[in-house]
Amino acid sequence: MTTVPVHPVPFLGPRELSRDTDGREVDPSLGLLQGEGAAQRVRTPEPHPGHLAPTRLDAAARTPTYYGLPVLQEPVWIWTVPAYLFVGGLAGAASALGAASLIAGGPALERLEIRCRVLGLVGDVLGSGLLIADLGRPGRFFNMLRVFRPTSPMSVGSWILALSGAANGAGVLLGRRRGVLGAAGRVGTAAGGGLGALLAGYTGVLLANTAVPLWQAARRELPVLFVGSGMASAGAVLELFPDSGASRKLTHWYGSIGKVVALGAMVAMERSAPRAPRVTEPLRSGATGALWRAGLALTAAGLFASGLGNGTRRRERIAAALTLAGALATRLAVVHAGKRSARDPRATFEGQRAGMGAAELSRAPVPKPAAFKLPVVR
Amino acid sequence: MTAAKGFFTDTSLCIGCKACEVACKQWNQLPADGLHFSGNSYDNTGHLGASTWRHVAFVEQTLPAALGAENDSSVGMRWLMESDVCKHCQRAGCLEACPTGAIIRTEFDSVYVQPDVCNGCGYCVAACPFGVIDRRDDDGRAWKCTLCYDRLSDGMTPACAKSCPTESIQFGDVEELRVRAEGRLAQLEQRGVRGAQLYGQDARSQPGTGGLNAFFLLLDEPEVYNLPPDPVVPTVKGRESWTFAGLAAAGMFLTAVAGAVLARSRSIR
Amino acid sequence: MAENHPVGFQWVMEARERGATLIHVDPRFTRTSAMADIHVPIRPGSDIAWLGGLIRYVLEKEAYFKEYVVAFTNAPVILREDFRDTEDLDGLFSGWSAKDGEYQVDSWQYEGAGTVPAAGHKHLPAGSTAGADAPDKRPATLQQRDETLQHPRCVFQVLRRHFSRYTPEIVEQICGVPRSLFEKVAEALIRNSGRERTSAFCYAVGWTHHSVGVQYIRTAAILQLLLGNIGRPGGGIIALRGHASIQGSTDIPTLFNIFPGYLPMPTTAHGATLDRYIQGNTSPTGWWSEFPKYIVSLLKAWFGDAATKQNDYLWAALPRLTGDHSHLTTVVDMADGKVPGYFVMGENPAVGSPNAALQRKGLRNAKWVVVRDLAMIETAEFWKSAPEVQSGEVRPEDIPTEVFFFPAAAHTEKEGTFTNTQRLLQWREKAVEPPGDARSELHFVFHLGRRLIEKARASGKERDLLLRSLVWDYPTNGEVEEPSAEAVLTEINGYTWPERKPVKGYTELKNDGTTACGCWIYSGCFAGGVNQTARRRPGREQSWVAPEWGWAWPANRRTLYNRASADLEGRPWSERKRLVWWDAATRTWTGEDVPDIIADRDPSYRAPPGVEGLASIGGNTAFLMQSDGLGWIHAPTGLIDGPLPTHYEPPESVAKNALYGQQCNPARLEYPRRDNLYHRAWDDPTYPFVLTTFRLTEHHTAGGMSRWLWWLSELQPQMFVEISPELARLRGIEHGAWATVSTARGSIEARALVTRRLRPLEVRGKTVHTIGVPWHWGSVGRTTGGSANELLAFVADPNVSIMESKALTADIRPGRVEAARRGPALPLESDPRRDLPQVGQHEMPSQEPLR
Repeated sequence: MTTVPVHPVPFLGPRELSRDTDGREVDPSLGLLQGEGAAQRVRTPEPHPGHLAPTRLDAAARTPTYYGLPVLQEPVWIWTVPAYLFVGGLAGAASALGAASLIAGGPALERLEIRCRVLGLVGDVLGSGLLIADLGRPGRFFNMLRVFRPTSPMSVGSWILALSGAANGAGVLLGRRRGVLGAAGRVGTAAGGGLGALLAGYTGVLLANTAVPLWQAARRELPVLFVGSGMASAGAVLELFPDSGASRKLTHWYGSIGKVVALGAMVAMERSAPRAPRVTEPLRSGATGALWRAGLALTAAGLFASGLGNGTRRRERIAAALTLAGALATRLAVVHAGKRSARDPRATFEGQRAGMGAAELSRAPVPKPAAFKLPVVR
Repeated sequence: MTAAKGFFTDTSLCIGCKACEVACKQWNQLPADGLHFSGNSYDNTGHLGASTWRHVAFVEQTLPAALGAENDSSVGMRWLMESDVCKHCQRAGCLEACPTGAIIRTEFDSVYVQPDVCNGCGYCVAACPFGVIDRRDDDGRAWKCTLCYDRLSDGMTPACAKSCPTESIQFGDVEELRVRAEGRLAQLEQRGVRGAQLYGQDARSQPGTGGLNAFFLLLDEPEVYNLPPDPVVPTVKGRESWTFAGLAAAGMFLTAVAGAVLARSRSIR
Repeated sequence: MAENHPVGFQWVMEARERGATLIHVDPRFTRTSAMADIHVPIRPGSDIAWLGGLIRYVLEKEAYFKEYVVAFTNAPVILREDFRDTEDLDGLFSGWSAKDGEYQVDSWQYEGAGTVPAAGHKHLPAGSTAGADAPDKRPATLQQRDETLQHPRCVFQVLRRHFSRYTPEIVEQICGVPRSLFEKVAEALIRNSGRERTSAFCYAVGWTHHSVGVQYIRTAAILQLLLGNIGRPGGGIIALRGHASIQGSTDIPTLFNIFPGYLPMPTTAHGATLDRYIQGNTSPTGWWSEFPKYIVSLLKAWFGDAATKQNDYLWAALPRLTGDHSHLTTVVDMADGKVPGYFVMGENPAVGSPNAALQRKGLRNAKWVVVRDLAMIETAEFWKSAPEVQSGEVRPEDIPTEVFFFPAAAHTEKEGTFTNTQRLLQWREKAVEPPGDARSELHFVFHLGRRLIEKARASGKERDLLLRSLVWDYPTNGEVEEPSAEAVLTEINGYTWPERKPVKGYTELKNDGTTACGCWIYSGCFAGGVNQTARRRPGREQSWVAPEWGWAWPANRRTLYNRASADLEGRPWSERKRLVWWDAATRTWTGEDVPDIIADRDPSYRAPPGVEGLASIGGNTAFLMQSDGLGWIHAPTGLIDGPLPTHYEPPESVAKNALYGQQCNPARLEYPRRDNLYHRAWDDPTYPFVLTTFRLTEHHTAGGMSRWLWWLSELQPQMFVEISPELARLRGIEHGAWATVSTARGSIEARALVTRRLRPLEVRGKTVHTIGVPWHWGSVGRTTGGSANELLAFVADPNVSIMESKALTADIRPGRVEAARRGPALPLESDPRRDLPQVGQHEMPSQEPLR
């Protein structure tokens, strides 16, 4: 029998009730907080009741649901993530354009190339900032580079972003120098371009590599959409700078291709779940549907406004603004539509019953965890 | 490596007492999730989450006479109860999505989140086909059932299985549990219980996840319990997506090069 | 059971897995029903009709276990000629005295013999039928019998006649249970009873919390006796009690009218001397003839050397009952300012006792209240957070009561035994010291006693004699001087005096002052100086009876009356169901369990007529404590409201009694007062629905141990009531919305859980709706809400003064409660329709006249 020092112990009375508590009721003078969940920081034992917010039950439902409650957890990402999708796509496309200008463009495109390089670097840095802001523990952002996990698009993407930033940084800082350093800078730019191309599209893979029904259904369309939209955004931003001749033609060409590809991908995405229309429902109805349609309309308007590339500066600028607005709207629509899709249990259930779950696999995956042959840095 | 450990949750034995929910919270010293009256039968918890690692689901059903009402009162009534938990999938969506390597597979073949590594990127949250893992806003990190890794390391039974009075939650070697589950299903079918099914007991029955180390015996379709009928770890569809990303990237680059060449040639002329 | 005894329920699940049929009879479809093979939705308050219907069915089909019934029950015994049944008197038995408001039980007796209730008389009001004036002193063994069960006045035929009108049709009318379902259950019961199979009944407060609660149990006992299920493995009637160790709190009682071991208390009317007390309560025959040894040993345990044969063991100085000092009556007296002090230990009457508002009125009118608990429960906070204070009706500054709060040690912070449902004593070790000022009950009572004894010694007054004489020398240890629980348990076990050598059991107790025993039924729990209650041999290392886990009273006998598991020759009725048997070789009884018969009593032994004491116990006696050794189908004595159970409607009902003119239990305890208003006996237009209370797994009784914890509170976070979709539609109540439930005693608000688990029933051509109300919520804690007990009235069973909490009437309306409004109710004169004219008006003896 151990003796405990006699001291006033908080007693379960009205005063204790009114005090803020962590919802554990473990008195530290009596018990040690060493459980696996003891480290969980709690400001209030009243977190979001999102779990209990039911969706409206539908008479047309083809499957039962559990009180209309979501089956999945919706993505926890904040606004900085769609912002990053926009910025990253723009930056990646700009880097690719810059690298292409360097390799194949000749002296006429040198200014453009510099601009692209800077745009790429700024985008990389800004994008990193946006992503770090979304982290639950931003101070631990460097853990993203703790391992390289090929199965995770976020891991791959973190490395792409980091390397792209380094490459673009080298390109910006060293590209103008002579000699070895200059060569290194130019290699950096070229590498940055390659990485940038991946940067623009990997986010589509990142979204698709989740359980969110809409994103998983659109796993082919999303990378293409983001690449196209990135190209369109890069072209639009570059068009805001005064330039003439070859640059203008190139940016116009680049941006227009991008818009066409983006629009095509969006249309294809709406048809990505023919057997389970519930999956793509967020693109058709509600606020997310409106946002999606706005993205479509703005991008199309931007394409139309920029025409064949020989309009006035003013028209160019309007087209650029429309395109940028469209790209941003599209990103927001995709993310919010995804969240809504995750919240809708019927999307998951009906999608999987219609064969969009494991039934789609041509062969069953190996039931052992993926082996990471590449080194995992601890 | 020791044998794979897991749970066989036999919902035909669950009396809905929620001892598992409380034992889990108490052992792991998890905070509360707030007082929210849901009106959904006796389930006021709603779903698994960052601070709820065992959740008991309740479904009240009135049975049509055709299904042979379980208890023959003048109205057929059934109350399904199920203790939900992290499935510790063989192919785990959260593990394969985690970019920091915080989520690992332990020597017990369970899936474990290291809270000192996790930086709260939230990717695992979106990648779980069962909606298990979640990020707590106050805390920032992702949390889920650890299969009582601390208890297993000392040769003990996980808290939920220990506290379950009717042994609805059975803990043991996954291989052995599978055999037991098949036997139990056969037994129920013999007794005339219709609609009973195993869920996720092996890779053949659930190819999308490779089988679950924490699998179930259900008395109705998975959707009734808020379980996906055909879950798949998103990574296995990743190749397709990467292919298109690669093609798009290549297309982007080629477009840029072609455009640059065209623009250059135009400018020379 | 699954909801309130989930750990114990695992054994029911185990039985189910082995092929047992589970039948759940409950107004609501609960988590138990989810596991059952058959669920019977029944109207609350109609179970006697249900069980009576089963009895009639069993008799009709001749499905009773005849040899068992003839051998072990009083079915063949012939009753007095002047006995009149409810069939003759439209719902009354012979002997009702309107003047006294109670039954004279003489006419219920056997022809030619007298009987004594097991463990003496415990009638609540000290009536003339109790104690030394007991009517018939002739030994019960002089009874007359007809072994063919044909005699018109034999118990068997009286029983048959008594339940003759409890047909399946009438059961359907009264209980709302369809005939086919009734027959299905009856057939299942019959199929699983008899020689080779047994059935068990498990019940809880759904049966006992009625104004006829004891008669519910009696009906089940009769049914089980007829089916031959008592005393046999897998049979019997199991009382699932309300919380941990409450069995212990009736064994070593916290009840006003019994001494430890269910010995009766002396009253002012009877038992002026120890001898008169013994004469009035003892039985010449049966094991109860040993009674003098137990009372003397008890007095010796209390007073030691101060109690001698010469001073009648200080008997004269003992306090006595002047009447009914039960909880309800005491609270009413408190409300009238007659009770100055109140100790409340581990109880929360402000939430957990009926008519919570009246409970709190009692608290307000006491001079001082002492509350011991783990948290500042509502009873400690009544002056601050009670509904009437929150609404402004009562102001704290007007309440003169002085409230003392003592923090209590939790069960891990003290050692001692729990005695739970199966009479099993299990020792608990102390794991940690209680924090701060928290102390165990043992510490509190011991040190309070010590100080009172010091004062008594100093005062030298005559009235302090008993205090001065108390043996209070328990050893203490530790800084806080915690008394040794083992020392107390040893005293409860009993020892020789003055050597204090522990006895092996109650067979070693004497009536000459050479033994002391704190509770005779617990004697043996410390046999040989070894704490038997601390034994924890795992079940897989023992026989299926597992006698080495803990210790059961009496004498570690796990199944009572197990003599009845063997026939008259001492051979088990069934090899498959064998429990105890006669070993002719060793000439002793032996078996899996401790035999409930004198160990060397030959089965063929029959006591010669007129023999008294233990020699009167035959080798065929299965019910040792009864003065005739038989299972009482007809209870000639011991009960206040009838020798046979009768269907009476609850005092507030939705239906007229379909069987008798006497609507309700004529002997019920009523308290007609302005602060305890009743509804009409039936068809009250203001309160047209049935209300029943229930418990949840997630919360514990009045919430003092569960509503303070987040982990439990979040599982059931808000007060709610359960209603059927039909009732919701009728009243326009939406699922999940607020609703207000009201009675003449009060109104509470709750969220409405509209569920098909509650069904409207057809009762006498009318649709009857039930409102299910959990009673866990109160005004303090992490989760707060309305208390169900605001709605209940003081009305109780006369035998044990337990309140009617399971069947009353109420109204429910959508919306929140505006104020503590009380609806219109009956004028204070009680509704004459509850009683036949010849029953008259009954009043509680210690009440103020109606004002």
